[in-house]
Amino acid sequence: MNTLPVGTIFALSLTAYSTGALASLATWRKPALCRYICCGSALAGAVLGGLAAVFGILQGTPVRWSVSSGIPLFAYSFDYDALAGFFNLTLAILAGAVSIYSFSYLKEFEGKRNIGFFGFLFHLLLLSLTIVFTTANVFLFLIGWEVMALVAYGLVTFYHEDRETRRAGLLYIVMAHIDAGCLLLGFALLMQVSGSAEFASFRTAAAQLSSGQQAVAFVLFFLGFGIKAGVIPFHIWLPAAHPVAPSNISALLSGIVLKAGIYGMVRIFLDGLGILPSWAGLLVLIVGVASAVLGVLYALMEHDLKRLLAYHSIENIGIILIGLGAALVFRVAGHPQLAAVALIAAMFHTLNHAIFKCLLFLGAGSVLHSTGTRNMEELGGLIRPMPVTAFCFLIGAVAISGLPPLNGFVSEWLTYQSLLAGFGATGGLTRILFPLAGSMLALTGALAAACFVKAFAITFLALPRGTEARHVHEAPRSMLVGMGWLTVTCLALGLGVTWFLPAFDALTEQLLGQRVGTNLISGHGLVLSAGMRHGGTVSTAVIGIGLVILLIPAVLLVSIGARRFARRRGPTWDCGLPGLSEENEYTATAFSKPLRMIFSVLYQPRREIQAVFDVSPYFPKAIRFESEIEPTFEKRLYVPLKDLLLWFSTRMRAIQAGSIHAYLAYIFVTLVLLLLFGVRP
Amino acid sequence: MTFLQDPEFGDRIITLMAALVLVLQIAAVGQRWLVSSIRIFAVQSFLLATIAGIIAYFNHAGHIYIVALLTLILKAGLLPWLLERLVNRIEIRREIEPLINAPLSILIAGCLTLVGYVVAESFYHPEETSVRAALGHNTLAVAIALFLIGFFTVLNRRKALSQVLGLLSLENGLFLAAISLTYGMPLIVELGIFFDVLVAVMVLGILVFRIREAFDSMDVSKLRKLRE
Repeated sequence: MNTLPVGTIFALSLTAYSTGALASLATWRKPALCRYICCGSALAGAVLGGLAAVFGILQGTPVRWSVSSGIPLFAYSFDYDALAGFFNLTLAILAGAVSIYSFSYLKEFEGKRNIGFFGFLFHLLLLSLTIVFTTANVFLFLIGWEVMALVAYGLVTFYHEDRETRRAGLLYIVMAHIDAGCLLLGFALLMQVSGSAEFASFRTAAAQLSSGQQAVAFVLFFLGFGIKAGVIPFHIWLPAAHPVAPSNISALLSGIVLKAGIYGMVRIFLDGLGILPSWAGLLVLIVGVASAVLGVLYALMEHDLKRLLAYHSIENIGIILIGLGAALVFRVAGHPQLAAVALIAAMFHTLNHAIFKCLLFLGAGSVLHSTGTRNMEELGGLIRPMPVTAFCFLIGAVAISGLPPLNGFVSEWLTYQSLLAGFGATGGLTRILFPLAGSMLALTGALAAACFVKAFAITFLALPRGTEARHVHEAPRSMLVGMGWLTVTCLALGLGVTWFLPAFDALTEQLLGQRVGTNLISGHGLVLSAGMRHGGTVSTAVIGIGLVILLIPAVLLVSIGARRFARRRGPTWDCGLPGLSEENEYTATAFSKPLRMIFSVLYQPRREIQAVFDVSPYFPKAIRFESEIEPTFEKRLYVPLKDLLLWFSTRMRAIQAGSIHAYLAYIFVTLVLLLLFGVRP
Repeated sequence: MTFLQDPEFGDRIITLMAALVLVLQIAAVGQRWLVSSIRIFAVQSFLLATIAGIIAYFNHAGHIYIVALLTLILKAGLLPWLLERLVNRIEIRREIEPLINAPLSILIAGCLTLVGYVVAESFYHPEETSVRAALGHNTLAVAIALFLIGFFTVLNRRKALSQVLGLLSLENGLFLAAISLTYGMPLIVELGIFFDVLVAVMVLGILVFRIREAFDSMDVSKLRKLRE
């Protein structure tokens, strides 16, 4: 099996992306043609990339190739190992879906916006992500990383007429550069020790790192990759930037660009820095727990569909980090098997989150495309005009809430199992931390379910609340196909998990030297077990079959009932107050009110009610209601930081007096001082 | 007339001339009339040309004669003439108050001379007691002092034109350092430097003109407004 042409297909995929980028630019004057080229070449690149990834995973042995660039330390070297294959596969699944989706989605840009430029950026984003996931050279990695950040900026600010969009773009680009700076420092440190810019050299040089260097490098990389992944407290760019981007781009940003941060963490923490001490793993774990809980809590308070999804990305990144942190702790504690299970949980959740978050963003994009609003309070009743979108969104919502038998459930279940095992496998304070993290994860899951009940019900059920949701139609076919593909993947990964899990063996063997895939599967390949003593077992396939079996009598009952009893329509009981309209429906704000009260310490909610009346306050003419929650991180962390920075800059500005004499004096004084300094023997 | 063949005599003459150049430079610091400043520069350049000539004579280095001649023509002749013409055209004869007043400026110039000697000291190796080393020692100190004082003049003056003068005397310092340390750089380098200076003066002359047109003054402090 070692003759599969992984490298060739991979190179073809890169070629498809780069020619697509140029071809889009070249045909920007013919929007329709440009749209075909843009989506077609991206799809071709995605299919080729996916093929390369599948071959790479099947082959099992890393494929390496390197082309010298003539510049010292810089080489076009690629290392297609299991980790690269896994992330490339994730990318390919999403890129394929988004390319198909974009075919119709971009139609509304025709004549209004430059599709050529959009296509150019879109292809560059896919290209840079592919390079980031595959390269083995630090400089190529950083170039890909930076191109990715800049291109994502261009895409986030695609609707640049909007002030909000420009502000979000600015916030994003600032955060992206802080993260790039951290990475640069971290890599500089590693390169100084290893004397080479190849990732492989870090593996061998890790033994020479002193514990201080290791700690500094860890913190730098955690900052750098953490900002990109959007972990709390570096998450603020995420709920700002994701909603304002075009929806197909939001789907990619949330689905895969955030995962670049996860990729970097896995690559460096498990492979490049040697065995990290347990505090590092615990830090990752704790940050993961904080991101998960706070992410979902903030998501609950959102009425903007895409912002809500963006906060859920923070939550899910948190869940991934919990798995990763647990893996790091287990590894240093001498439980490589457990570490492998935790790593599989994290990686599987990475894949799952990428798929269902992409699906949900595309669904939100369809809603936005049809109604023109992201505000859930104005939506409602969309399930009737948009049944397919609603179904896809529902599957995504079930998956992200971690309900069986879908894929989100499986990865969250594996994470729980490894956390519970952590109680027995570690000692001291760490021992208590694991069940605590598990309970927080349970809380997160419950809140996420509540949040998606809200998101789905307010958007798709009941009657339209605003005028925008009245005269809508189903999304065009290609958008449905794009979403449908992801829906099918969600179902397949959930129900058929036992077939897919052994594919992670190569990954865990590469990073931890363990193959646990087969331990996780029992019961004739239908049952998933935690692969440890006293661990739990679960079978999504059986749950799925059970659900179908339960569904049959329900369907029968309904169809029999419909024949026997005529359907009656009647008005809703209006408590004796006539004139009940759609505006009296339950709102998203009302739905989340109990949680707002329970967590008021965190939210610091502020509300204001003003009644306008003529005669008596009992007969108000109009009532104005305003409610908001305190943006804690912005207010407590970022505003003081920004103020400090501005204060410092103002002080620095005094040096830049704008006077030639002052500048000359700086040079002169420096010159004299240097001369005198140079005199000293 | 045997002393004309004696290198030690030549070195003394050079030291004397270098001292004169330094005195002139310090005098220029306290000078407020633009025309006088230009003439001081002219005399200074003339002395430099003479130094170059003497070095050429005693070292039998033919190409330094060309350098000396060029210095004479360009720096002692053409540039002062150009600058005086510029002064007449823009009808400003006097430097307004410099940033630091004259007595203090001269004091600072003295300190900078000291700095020059301190710095030059580090290049002086007593074990090489030949005359040429001693010559280099003295003239190098003067050259560094010239350079520093020229720089100081540039930042002390408000008028763009007197800054140009400061720059030119700074360049004179470089010239002195080069010629006394190396006994003549390759001719092509010297030619390059001359060409540089000539172009610099022309560009600066145009710039002075433009500044005057735009700001109604030659005071570069007004450029501060560009910041807004």
